[in-house]
Amino acid sequence: MFENILFLSSAVLALSGALGVVFTKNLMHACVLLLATLFGVSGLYAVIGADFLAAAQLVIYAGGVIILMLFAVMLTGGAANNENKFGIDKVAAMGSVKTYIYAGLTVLVMSFTILKILANYMKTFEQGELAPFESTVEKIGTLLVTDHVLAFEISSILLLGALVGAAAIARPRRG
Amino acid sequence: MSLSINEYLNQFEAHQQAIAFLSDFLGTDASGIMTFLVFGAACFIIVNIMALVGGLGTYAERKISADIQLRQGPNRVGPYGILQFLADGVKMIMKEDIFPADADKPLFNLAPLLALTGVFATLALVPFSSGFTLVNLNMGVFFLIGVSSLVGVAVFLGGYASNSKWSMLGGMRGASQIISYEVPVTITALMIVLLSGGMSFGAFVETQGGLPHEWYIFHNPFTFIGFFVFFVGMLAETNRAPFDLPEAESELVSGYHTEYTGMRFGLFALAEYIEVFVLCGVGVAAFLGGYKVPFDLGSGALFIDKLGLPVIVGKNIGQVLQVGSFVTKTLAMYYLVIWVRWTFPRIRVDQVMTICWKYLTPLALFNLVGVAIWMYAFDAHSIWEVLGQAFSSGH
Amino acid sequence: MVSLSSYLFISFALFVSGLAVMIARKNIIAILLGIELILNSAALNFAAYTRFVNQNLDGHLMSLFIIVIAAAEAAVGLAIVIRFFQIKETIHIDDATQLQA
Repeated sequence: MFENILFLSSAVLALSGALGVVFTKNLMHACVLLLATLFGVSGLYAVIGADFLAAAQLVIYAGGVIILMLFAVMLTGGAANNENKFGIDKVAAMGSVKTYIYAGLTVLVMSFTILKILANYMKTFEQGELAPFESTVEKIGTLLVTDHVLAFEISSILLLGALVGAAAIARPRRG
Repeated sequence: MSLSINEYLNQFEAHQQAIAFLSDFLGTDASGIMTFLVFGAACFIIVNIMALVGGLGTYAERKISADIQLRQGPNRVGPYGILQFLADGVKMIMKEDIFPADADKPLFNLAPLLALTGVFATLALVPFSSGFTLVNLNMGVFFLIGVSSLVGVAVFLGGYASNSKWSMLGGMRGASQIISYEVPVTITALMIVLLSGGMSFGAFVETQGGLPHEWYIFHNPFTFIGFFVFFVGMLAETNRAPFDLPEAESELVSGYHTEYTGMRFGLFALAEYIEVFVLCGVGVAAFLGGYKVPFDLGSGALFIDKLGLPVIVGKNIGQVLQVGSFVTKTLAMYYLVIWVRWTFPRIRVDQVMTICWKYLTPLALFNLVGVAIWMYAFDAHSIWEVLGQAFSSGH
Repeated sequence: MVSLSSYLFISFALFVSGLAVMIARKNIIAILLGIELILNSAALNFAAYTRFVNQNLDGHLMSLFIIVIAAAEAAVGLAIVIRFFQIKETIHIDDATQLQA
């Protein structure tokens, strides 16, 4: 029963946050609604027993990426609703009716495609006996240094490259 | 074994009988409902005690600062002024709720709530005693450091939503300070994870002992330095002086909570004091032996075997002793935090960043590598055991 | 209620929301928010398959790597946005029309 309550509340949080990000007019509100979505997804990870994944999602996303987005919003002029300077029809930065029509049509086409594929799979899938909950921290740690050590080391080099690259691209220039 | 509160209570027959009684009464299996009720009661107790700690923290700060500055401090409201925090609370509730013009109303209301949420979510992991931990998550310290970065988001949002340049500056300084100092704090916690073999607080505390020479702070020189790195990082994480530039009174009026009045400001202040307590608790659990009582009194074995008390009484006396040990050590560290505030001048913002990235992070990495080498070389024995073996084998 | 179908539906909803954000918005940072939503939906999908279909932890590891890569990509993407703002004084994507500043 509590599993269902947790699942429902996390799903509601994630989906309402995602809908908010689509339809809100203010960029700062969109960032905070994304934070709510990431919390919801973390709760969904916790329901299916992915405890390390839920904690990692909270630490990396809610504690890192969101603050990064907020700082970037501040450093690039704030959440004012800019319009592009050129062209006859000025398009608002957070979307106008025309862009939402395009988005709506694309969403319809993609939804039909994806749901057709998914419905096929959902009908033919038989859910068997689910395993009881075991903590995944030690197993993930072991897997990272035995089976998947190459991906682990490459991701560390990727993060180093991202660190140096972001600092080099965005540093203030003289003159 | 450090258990969560439900596993601890399951040891006693009285608890099993209560579950059986409730099952008969309701007709369905009541163990889930009993778990929920136990959790609810424990959460209620912890939240209320923490709110009390937050309020008394303000009182303690004023009294201790008065003591350092050779004056009296609050001494009118109640004996020795101890009810001063209640008077402050009443004053704050009765203040007018000012809302700045053109401020972002949803974010303005959300920021103090987010700060308080981030802090109260960490209370579920604080190991008060081996039985009174709400949940013994297998990644306790990782989750705790992650959730307490919600406070950084809240500081930034509070600064932005106030629609004032000084608040915005304070908010940006606060958020950058919090996310910068998470790095040395997390690396130092990783060092203790290496030594104790698990990320849960139960693993941290159970692998230490009650006497000071069995604590991790005296385990090897690297953890000794690591404790001070953790302490400085903890001061900066909670925006406490000397790192309190985000709320610097002489520069930014009041930084990110300038425009907050009444109970909204009260929520920010409460979040700060409770966060100091929680991070002091983490420091105690990681470095100072947590809830362990000297001479193993905490497990109640002494009372059950020697004095012949029934099991339930003996274990509970052990639990009370453990809670007392943990709270004493945490309050001692809290005193140290308050003492440091009223001793040192405020650090400039570029010095804050320099300290973090040029001094504390390399030091934390050096400690981590040092502890790993120590574990390989000396098979994770503490320095006292190594010296003891060296002297005894030398004779 | 907790089943593979519900998880697939939630990740589909997140994916479609991210897609709508990426198409409808003209602010570069808002588009990056849409990218984060899509990456999250993919990671949720991998984790759901680990739980309900195949209990080896490769799905969890894939989700972990997706989270790491999303963080790195957000960092570099936002650095590019900041540099773009330093040159052009705007973050409207219709102004990003030239290959050379």
